[in-house]
Amino acid sequence: MNSKNMLVKLLSVMIVFSVLITACGQPVATQAPATEAPAITEAPAATEAPAATEAPAGKIYDGVTIDILTFVGPQVAEPLQRRGPDFTELTGATVNIITVPNSELYQKVLTDAVSGTNAYDGYLFAPAWITDFAPAGLVEDLTPYVEADTALEWDDVAPFFRDFNSYAGKVYSIPLDGDMHMVYYRIDSLEEAGLEPPKTWDDYLAVAKALNGKDLNGDGEGDYGSCISKAPAQQSYWWIWSIAAPYIQSQGTSQGPFFNTTDMTPLVNNDAFKRALEVYKETGLYGPPDETNQGVGDSRGLFLAGRCALTMDWGDIGPLAIDPANSKVIDKTGAISNPGSTEVLDWETGKLVACDATTCPYAVDGVNHAPFASFGGWAGAVNAAVDQKQKDATYAFFSYMAQPAQSNADVVVGSTGYNPFRISQFENLQPWIDAGFSQAAAEQYLNGIKESFDSPNMAADLRIPKSHEYIQVELDRILSEYIAGDLTTDEAAQQLYDSWETITEEAGRDAQLEFYKGTLGQ
Amino acid sequence: MGWALSLLIELVTMNTQPEEPQPSRFHSVISSAADRLAGSIFILPTVLALLFLSIFPLLASLYVSLAKFDIAPGGYKFTFVGLNNYRKLFTGSEGTHFLGKFASNTPLTWIVFGVVVIALAFFLARYLLNAKVSISGLIGRLLLAIGIGLLTWMLVHTLWNDGRLGTASITLVYVFVGIFFQYILGLGLALLTVQNLPGRRFFRVIFLLPMMITPVGVAYMFRMLTDTSKGPFTPIWQGLGLIDFSWVNNAWGARTAILIGDIWQWTPFMFIVLVAALESQPVEPIEAATVDGANSWQIFQHITWPAILPVSMTLILIRLIEAFKIVDLPNVMTNGGPGTATQSLTYHAYINWRALNIGSSAAVAYMLLFLVTFFAMIFVNLIRQRTVETL
Amino acid sequence: MKRWFQSKTINTPSPIGALLSYLALGIWAFLIIFPLYWLVITSFKISSQVAEGPFYIPFVDFKPSLDAWKYILVGDLSNDTLRNFSNTIIVAPLSALIALALGATAAYALVRFDYRPRVGAILTFIGCVILSIVTIAMGVSWQIALTVSAAAFFILLQTIGRRFKRALGNNDIAFWMISQRMLPPVAVVIPIYILFQQLHLLDTYAALIITYVTSNLPIVIWLMRDYVSTIPIELEECASIDGASRYRIFWSIVLPLAIPGLVATFLFVLVFTWNEYLLALFLSSAKVQTLPLTIAAQNATRGPQWWNMSVLILIMIVPVIVIAIVLERYITRGLLIGAVKG
Repeated sequence: MNSKNMLVKLLSVMIVFSVLITACGQPVATQAPATEAPAITEAPAATEAPAATEAPAGKIYDGVTIDILTFVGPQVAEPLQRRGPDFTELTGATVNIITVPNSELYQKVLTDAVSGTNAYDGYLFAPAWITDFAPAGLVEDLTPYVEADTALEWDDVAPFFRDFNSYAGKVYSIPLDGDMHMVYYRIDSLEEAGLEPPKTWDDYLAVAKALNGKDLNGDGEGDYGSCISKAPAQQSYWWIWSIAAPYIQSQGTSQGPFFNTTDMTPLVNNDAFKRALEVYKETGLYGPPDETNQGVGDSRGLFLAGRCALTMDWGDIGPLAIDPANSKVIDKTGAISNPGSTEVLDWETGKLVACDATTCPYAVDGVNHAPFASFGGWAGAVNAAVDQKQKDATYAFFSYMAQPAQSNADVVVGSTGYNPFRISQFENLQPWIDAGFSQAAAEQYLNGIKESFDSPNMAADLRIPKSHEYIQVELDRILSEYIAGDLTTDEAAQQLYDSWETITEEAGRDAQLEFYKGTLGQ
Repeated sequence: MGWALSLLIELVTMNTQPEEPQPSRFHSVISSAADRLAGSIFILPTVLALLFLSIFPLLASLYVSLAKFDIAPGGYKFTFVGLNNYRKLFTGSEGTHFLGKFASNTPLTWIVFGVVVIALAFFLARYLLNAKVSISGLIGRLLLAIGIGLLTWMLVHTLWNDGRLGTASITLVYVFVGIFFQYILGLGLALLTVQNLPGRRFFRVIFLLPMMITPVGVAYMFRMLTDTSKGPFTPIWQGLGLIDFSWVNNAWGARTAILIGDIWQWTPFMFIVLVAALESQPVEPIEAATVDGANSWQIFQHITWPAILPVSMTLILIRLIEAFKIVDLPNVMTNGGPGTATQSLTYHAYINWRALNIGSSAAVAYMLLFLVTFFAMIFVNLIRQRTVETL
Repeated sequence: MKRWFQSKTINTPSPIGALLSYLALGIWAFLIIFPLYWLVITSFKISSQVAEGPFYIPFVDFKPSLDAWKYILVGDLSNDTLRNFSNTIIVAPLSALIALALGATAAYALVRFDYRPRVGAILTFIGCVILSIVTIAMGVSWQIALTVSAAAFFILLQTIGRRFKRALGNNDIAFWMISQRMLPPVAVVIPIYILFQQLHLLDTYAALIITYVTSNLPIVIWLMRDYVSTIPIELEECASIDGASRYRIFWSIVLPLAIPGLVATFLFVLVFTWNEYLLALFLSSAKVQTLPLTIAAQNATRGPQWWNMSVLILIMIVPVIVIAIVLERYITRGLLIGAVKG
């Protein structure tokens, strides 16, 4: 073939190629699979809601479909799915709830946003992740929305949650749920054994040891002293901080339990954190044999079945325990603020020192408590890259869910996974009593939570860039190896220190320090 | 558009030159242009699909493994970091995760390692003393010896004493132990089923079932079954006094559970292929042997086994390649625990990816690719040797 | 007495042999059926019946309830379930068929034609792919990068490509195709994700189908190549002498003879695509989630919802089992692997 012929062919092929490629690159009108009938895009319909296509004309978000991503329910997702049709009736917008397993949520949200796919309009996720998303401009600044929204009653939201869902002074997510770790105990079993609800973690271990193996639910088999789940990639990395915080933080919330506020070194390679590790591991001695493969769902289930004397959990057990269908511990469940410690960390020496007026200014009866506001509560954020109408509709939906009329009904039901976060929800006992709490139980439960939030030494969860990597990747792995016996306490503490230092270095020590101090209000 | 496409085909065929079928194939009496192009048309779609969706992502992934992923304003960025991700896997922060925790040397480790080294030395020597030595052959065998040596070193130091297996070793355990049992069971069942027994079709269908279930489903099913407090075997555990024992807390217990699930699921694959192979055997040699007075063991050893050997090797190769990619069972049954005791390489890559440590995830995936290729090459050469011998 | 140990015909075992065989087969059948049975009864249990310990026989040990079935099929999860189920039903058989079509033709070609791809051409291609990747990484828009690399490829093909005369053969091509199976999906998922995202095909059927077809082509080629090589060549020669074109021969002669192989391969690929989890997790976000994702998702923070999961697993298995039973006779006839040596 002569060269002229060759050149002609080559050119024509190149032209063909470029045409092909650019044709493929055109935004294909999002070819929704042809078989997708409108009915499928709706949230599962409650019996009374009409189909979106029947919404009377003139509604504000007619024809808008919003896709919200959260993790698989039924907790947390179910109220969204249940109230979707109501929202549709009010506003004409169709709500589509997409769920993925909890461990996938972070990367699904991030991949969707950074790759520009934007398949989701909103996310119901961990507010701590805002510090990764907001600086990159991936979530919408909701301050103007919130300020214009009277139905939301933003001031009724507890101050802690207003802060936790803000970053650099702007609101980026709407809380639907409030989170605080508490210890729940069997009133009857402890009374029978003549034991007091634990005030310190040493007490906790003592109670657990004393009651381990006793038959707590009357079925003739031995039960467990303590049920705290320990499976990898589950909740371990939150439990450990509930135990460690009172050993490390004693000077108030703005001290922070995670890092040294002068040089951003992790506060983990010291006697306090090591003691916490040992306590955490020891609780396993008094628990179910397969605790290392259990998540909070399992341990919660065991407590509700009456098989545990003590457990630690978020607020869910309160309303779950009064439900006759699922609970064998109605009227037998007590809730207290997290146990504390009589020894605290001396930040200079890394050793534990006894509690006194200077070391523990907020001690109660000589015990330093640092209730851990773990996780911060599920909150809804809006994708900054979608159309204005989508953003408005998504915000409206989250606001709708957070408004007192809906929220008050959801937080009193255990299976929703939503726990109280509004001041009014703590102060007004009536909805709780209507839901089935006895007066005493409601008071004790709500006081437990409220005390924790009001505590001047409450510990907030970590909220700096790469918090996911610090906590849910590195800490989780080292913790699971420690529990499995692959690492000694010293090795675990050292490895955690090293890996956190690596992350801090990569992210920029000074920047991280600024962030961290910012979240502590310093 | 059509002529452009045929232009493209012409250009490519210029270089692939499908020749007219040789005399050992057959003569095409009518050879039109379309017929000449048939060779290209038949194979081109597959080649293109594999080129764009396998090779291109593979090479792109190589780049990713040499880079670091970060969120940047407006999206994301990859920063080139060279071999840093790989370094972390071998000598850096992920070393114990990937390779395992190395115990110190003991007489036992030296003995085992020594034995393997001597065997490899014999192997190389035998080749060198052979008349037909080629450079590529020598290099290949040297690489093989070095590879096996390194793997043995790793295994020997992590399997016992206070060593801990890394994800690479765990994957090897899953693959080899799993395939061993799958093959033995599959062969045994196949031999039993091809007999002239009434009702064997029923067994065949039943035995096929486990393969049909999604691995995630199998994992959950086995988690249910092995639950010592709620599962169906609880009375047995109680009887044996194991009620307080949980296999989850024990590294090898957890691995055994996963192996059982894996064997349960994939034995049908071996089974069905071996049944096909056994049934397609010609009957005459067996009849002749029986007439000559051979018993069934002798028939198996001298007639059946050589006949199904090629099939078995291909079958094991297929299953070998698949087995290295195990991920659903460790993920669902144990979340990779206790600690990292049941994490396979794909799981390792998966959790890195989930943590958005994408460069590291790609590096682990590449190490897996090297490992699979290494063993597959060994096996393919084994097959080639065998079939050459039987010819 | 001696008769118990004698077999009547070649393949029929003696009565003792038959007994032992049935015993062994029965044990394994039990090992298979029991977990499935457990699955079925768990789908009829409610949470407390699972938590309180094993109950074995419905109506005797425990009272079965249809709660799980209702929840999955008509209750809160029904929309998700039906959508994901229909996604699976669309994606899996379609991918299997397309993979079968492409792979069977390629397998036939590899057996009947002689290919001589030149090493030079291959190296040039790889070089141009690397070139395009590097330029894209440096920020050039991908349309330009690809066009430039394509041009470079064609130009270089004539020069460097011609230099290395050595050519590979059919076996090498086959080996390359089959070795694609060694690729862990985790390795290629990010480039594929970005690729589909650039083409705006994320979360569509097309993305899943294309990916499944590509990852299963090696299996199809492997199985079909071995099968096609057992078809005698004389039939095709006769047809060719009679004047049939290659396409005609393939369509009317080879394919009908290859039906057992095609069916067996189809079943295998169907099983792989039906049950696939990892790629579906990566590539789907809202609209095309498949059923394995729903199963994995039942592991909620409340603890694994065993009853819901059992229902979902059963829904997933039933169609495949039905197909397998119907096609069973083809499977053993169609799996003649190992016929091609090397």
